[in-house]
Amino acid sequence: MLNRRRAAQLIASASAVAAIGGTRAASAADKIIKIGADLSLTGADAQGASRVKNAITMAVNAANDGHAVPGYTFELMILDDGTATAGQYDPAQAATNARKMVSDPLVVAAIGPQMSGAGKAMTPILSQGGLSTITPSSTNPDITNPKFAAQYRPAGKPIYFRTVTTDAFQGPNMANFFAEVLKVKKVYVLDDSGAFGVGVADAFEAQAKKKGMEVLGRDRLDPKAADYTAILTKIKSLNAEAFYYGGVSQAGVKLAKQAYDIVPTMIKGGPDGMTSADLLSGAGFPAVEGWYTTIAAPHLVDDTKAAEFVKTFKGLFGTAPDDYSITAYDAALVVIDAVKRVAATGKPVTREAVTDAMLTAKVPTIQGVVSFDANGDLADRTVSVFHIQKDPSKPLDDVSAQYKYLQVAPQS
Amino acid sequence: MTFADLLLQQTINGLSLGAMYALLALGFTLVYGILELINFSHFNVFMVGSFVGLWVLQQFGLSGQEIVLAGLPLVGVLLAAFVVTMGVSGGIGVAIERLCLRPLRNVKGPAAMITTIGVSYILFNIVLLTVGADSKNYPNPVPAIHYHIGGAVLDLRVILIWIVATILMLGLYFFVQRSRLGKAMRATAQDAEAARMMGVEVDKVIIMAFFLGSALAGAGGMIFGLYYNFTSFLIGFTAGLRAFTAAVLGGIGNVPGAMVGGILIGLIEAMSAQFLATAWTDVIIFSILVLVLVFKPSGLFGRIAPTKS
Repeated sequence: MLNRRRAAQLIASASAVAAIGGTRAASAADKIIKIGADLSLTGADAQGASRVKNAITMAVNAANDGHAVPGYTFELMILDDGTATAGQYDPAQAATNARKMVSDPLVVAAIGPQMSGAGKAMTPILSQGGLSTITPSSTNPDITNPKFAAQYRPAGKPIYFRTVTTDAFQGPNMANFFAEVLKVKKVYVLDDSGAFGVGVADAFEAQAKKKGMEVLGRDRLDPKAADYTAILTKIKSLNAEAFYYGGVSQAGVKLAKQAYDIVPTMIKGGPDGMTSADLLSGAGFPAVEGWYTTIAAPHLVDDTKAAEFVKTFKGLFGTAPDDYSITAYDAALVVIDAVKRVAATGKPVTREAVTDAMLTAKVPTIQGVVSFDANGDLADRTVSVFHIQKDPSKPLDDVSAQYKYLQVAPQS
Repeated sequence: MTFADLLLQQTINGLSLGAMYALLALGFTLVYGILELINFSHFNVFMVGSFVGLWVLQQFGLSGQEIVLAGLPLVGVLLAAFVVTMGVSGGIGVAIERLCLRPLRNVKGPAAMITTIGVSYILFNIVLLTVGADSKNYPNPVPAIHYHIGGAVLDLRVILIWIVATILMLGLYFFVQRSRLGKAMRATAQDAEAARMMGVEVDKVIIMAFFLGSALAGAGGMIFGLYYNFTSFLIGFTAGLRAFTAAVLGGIGNVPGAMVGGILIGLIEAMSAQFLATAWTDVIIFSILVLVLVFKPSGLFGRIAPTKS
């Protein structure tokens, strides 16, 4: 499976820094503005990361080509927070990357990270450096919760923005879906020990109890262990009707595979970490069939609003985008818009000015007009539910073909 | 499911895991018994073995979960895959010994052990860079036949894994106990100097230990793939560490000890997930290891290591 792009990607990640994209010849007089990007290009989430990279590269190149901000040229500084030893994102690497961005005075805003665990490690550094970032997919609510301001924004100002909603909605809304639509009464809850997985599972569990479901138990999977048959046997012995797994695909692939052997007919659900091509290719059909998963955003790739984006994306990169490619593209649009508004006032484009501009953003994007609340969270709180249903006529690892969109999850 | 069914089911789960740990533990034990060296590259020889097995199965046109074989073709394909995997893995083990460890054989201190850690990371990164970081789907050519024993389910696949593991372990045991080379291995383990004086070719014995240990690790890697239907560049560390624990638990250097240790660790893992929580598995495994070593420092079956002259 070694193709050229992947090889290049891995080599780039091995050298820790890959500054690509947005490097078109700038007019000599143009000032350079750098946008940092922290993505998990190495490890289990590599496929999703490369789509995010493509989406933001596309947005930035379009802005440069169209001279979206006269007098300024954008450059992307793409950093990889995945490491080989972690096999997925590594919070320590994410913190190092945050430092790298903060110490480069040309970086005025950032995109990413994809993963909440990385976000938790980066925010204290970004906050001290006054650098704002927009995440296209990390959904842990603690990061933007004012209750934890001392931890995640010690300098005071909100610097963590999102073009997706949070697990304060993703987990509970899925619990509502389990209770109201699937009529589940007895559920077991699992997570993958990561910041994101634990948070979303906690939120699911709390809402499940509120909805009158019986939570039979709660356990934590070691994402590097291979064997989950024992815990699945336990879930089976408790006669659960369903289980919910909060986490990403590293443990998810193995869980789906083994759950198919042990509890084939049980209802299985997961968050956006399980809405991934890695799950489809790693666990494969028939094991993944029937999983219910969510994304913390409206479902857009099949929407007419996104048709042009999807076409251009496919044309440029040869792969289909997913919904988080759209939120990533939107995140880039928000950054570009903020810089544009600051530049239009004639003031210098500083980190602080860009942050202020983002707080008052009303940017028309693919998902609609993006605006944030006082903490940086997205005003729109849509969570979409998907069901994996095999479509043999399409590639079996194509997320947009094999995940069938069901509905918007019931709001609590 | 009644409690008895549950216990039976978790025993089945634990034995499958244990069979894999035991195969892997044997490699640690063979090399330690002869060189008193903890060979950390073993972790990732196991991982490479699982990819070699994947490659062989793909050469037979097997990919994904859809293609299922039965009867003679199944036996043939599996046999070929195991033979190639074990051959290649054994070869890797011999190459590691010849290239990285033999030059250091007379160096005192931890140089050789650190070298094995380095080799482990080299293998790890080579696989990462060539096949990529995502989990790979492993073909499952064994028909999905389930036997119900009360409320417990036993898969044909699991039975096959037990059979293969048992054959390999018994084969090794008899090889070490009965064959000329096996006798030479035991002699070298007891006292390398004296064995050399008695005409044992110690180099050959060491190569054999690396070959056998690595071949078993390769078989373990392929069993891992067939059992879990996935493999990735990451699988070596967790499995390797637990297998190493198994070897120490059984008494490092002791061949039957490694087998029993592996199976024990597998059972402990399954039972702790059932009766406590998965999150506590490592705590329990390593607590038991500490307890055993405190009260029986040489492991359950006694440690066999070269006597220092």
